[in-house]
Amino acid sequence: MGGLTRNKMLSILALGAMVGLLLLPIVVSMPALAGGGGTPAAGGPPPDVAKKADTPEAAKVEKARDVYYKTEGIVTGAPAPKTADNPQFYPRYNFESRVLLWIANQQHLYYGSFVLAVPIFCMIIEFMGIVSKDKAMAKKYDQLAYDFIKISLTAYSLTAILGGILIFTFLTLYPAFFGYLSSIFRPVMHIYALLFVAESGTIYIYYYGWDRMKEGLLKWIHVSMSVVLNVIGTTLMFLANSWIGFMMSPAGVDEQGRFLGNIWHSIHTALWNPLNVHRLLGNMAFGGGVVAAYAAYRFLASKTDEERAHYDWMGYIAMAIGVAFLIPLPFAGYWLMREVYAYRQQMGITLMGGLLAWLFIIQATMIGILFLSSNYYLWQAMGRMRGAEKYQRYIKYMVFVLVCGFLIFITPHTIVMTPAELKAMGGQQHPVLGNYGVMSAKNGGINVIITTTVLSFIWYQRGNKVPMVSWAKFGNIFMGCFFALAYVNIIWLAIYGYYIPANVRVGLSVPQVATTLSCLFFMTALNLVMLKGAKQSGAIEWGKISVRSQYALIMLATAFTWMMGLMGYIRSSVRLFWHVNEIMRDNSPWAYTHTTGFAANMISFNVLFFWLTILFVFFLATLGVKKAPAEAKVSVPGRVPEPATGH
Amino acid sequence: MEIVTSPNFWTAMLVLGVVLLVGVSFKTKALLNNVYVAVTISLLIAVAYFHLVDHYLMDMQGLDYWYLFRK
Repeated sequence: MGGLTRNKMLSILALGAMVGLLLLPIVVSMPALAGGGGTPAAGGPPPDVAKKADTPEAAKVEKARDVYYKTEGIVTGAPAPKTADNPQFYPRYNFESRVLLWIANQQHLYYGSFVLAVPIFCMIIEFMGIVSKDKAMAKKYDQLAYDFIKISLTAYSLTAILGGILIFTFLTLYPAFFGYLSSIFRPVMHIYALLFVAESGTIYIYYYGWDRMKEGLLKWIHVSMSVVLNVIGTTLMFLANSWIGFMMSPAGVDEQGRFLGNIWHSIHTALWNPLNVHRLLGNMAFGGGVVAAYAAYRFLASKTDEERAHYDWMGYIAMAIGVAFLIPLPFAGYWLMREVYAYRQQMGITLMGGLLAWLFIIQATMIGILFLSSNYYLWQAMGRMRGAEKYQRYIKYMVFVLVCGFLIFITPHTIVMTPAELKAMGGQQHPVLGNYGVMSAKNGGINVIITTTVLSFIWYQRGNKVPMVSWAKFGNIFMGCFFALAYVNIIWLAIYGYYIPANVRVGLSVPQVATTLSCLFFMTALNLVMLKGAKQSGAIEWGKISVRSQYALIMLATAFTWMMGLMGYIRSSVRLFWHVNEIMRDNSPWAYTHTTGFAANMISFNVLFFWLTILFVFFLATLGVKKAPAEAKVSVPGRVPEPATGH
Repeated sequence: MEIVTSPNFWTAMLVLGVVLLVGVSFKTKALLNNVYVAVTISLLIAVAYFHLVDHYLMDMQGLDYWYLFRK
């Protein structure tokens, strides 16, 4: 016990030292970064665009007002370039440059998201393995974490390669824009590059040191290293988000785009934090989906029951983590949209009520598919438990509720029609269905879907267990009443919204979300308390699950990928004809919004390309495994999930 | 109507529900597991809780949850 505490203390000290060393360069450079105009070499623009101090006209300091923060600052940068449609500003092939950039950007983002999310899973699972008192289970968790990081390592190399391709694409096709962006974010880009080097070093030590650091203090240092790895990864993402945040909602510059010396203002724009939260959750959900698809692929390709058991378990864990982050994702998205509206109402209208509104209907469809697939998987997964049959008869009612919520959620407010269709329907809105095309109804729809997913999870947890606490009957009744009233409250708030003014109605989404989250947190906690010491009606027979469930996992991952591509496109195209919103105009021949059909084809192409390449990554991950089939066969205890191979 | 739109009323209901729950569970588990008692206590707690959630989360945004009822 004393040894364990000492190990923990030492590992915390080691972790503190690692984090301290990593943050040292940033802390040291902080005064220069936030130092206003005093140190243009660190926080300012390149020397060629800054005014030389010894010239007479620069002797008098020019001040300007920040477009967002409204504070005054000393002008230390050149205005944003005024571009024109010519090869000087937009060098090109006989092809649309924007499409090339779109592909490079999207592929880098897919892989980047994946390699940021998977180490977070590893950290959680490896930690679970360390604290697990059951040695066999601890070994399984450790193997699972290792399997995860193995996949991400190959993907990590591809991420770096794609990052290089992206920068070259920017430099060669959009040099004026990239020059301007890098003049503002030069110190951030350097820190980004240094952090990338730090992350590469950490991930390789983390991976290759797995076997050498598997016991005692070294194991704690190893898991601490995963914390460092994730701190760096998340910081990298936040820094990259600051660039897109700046492009959408610029700050730290005046109305001509001249940098005012405070880099923190340019990083901390109006949309930076909502973007950070939304992307972090999105990456986690996406990573969970991709790993679940990998497990499904391995499950389908398995030759033995042991392999099937392992990959079934792996798929379940990955799916559970993915869905855990999927549930709060719509709320984070809602916050982002609220901030977009608060920043520029017109931008919000373009997104959700104008040019891009139809893409949001597609997004709603994808979200619905994600939740339907998750529920379907959970219902199928109950098949591997003895005793879960008792819930089967209720599934049809859940399907009904989910489909009702889904149909309301995807109902458009208005649709594009021919004059004849318009006349036949009697107006832009359908007399009945049109009522469901408003936010009040849609919020109700999505909250009903999420609450039903929470209910499915609780049923899954109870599948093979019978609560034995003395107040079990009360607990069941309380849970039933709480869920029933949660549904009533969500639907009531949705209906209530039709009868009150818009400025009051907009606030109803908050109690709706709180109702859903109450079910998630309180009922999951209550369920866990009730299941303490529960009687098991049968073991979970890992591997004995329908093949359809694995296709549901693949569907889940594909839908995540498609939706990520879609949302990226929506977020980017909301700038319309601006490189940097209201600061730097896009004068390329491609500064127009594509048709929905073209965008959908592009997204599908990107999804297909990503999945083809990630399948190759999966294939590479299997090459090492095939070397030790005999060892796998030895460690087969039967129904419990057992690592398929050694390291 | 004024009573119903008051958060104090719903707080009192929630407290009543919790007091009943604690009281009954101390007395006998059999009574707690009685369907009628369990449903009554559960409904009391859940209805009061969701009303308070609706009221306070609207109030935090500077909005009146009871807008229509006060009209």
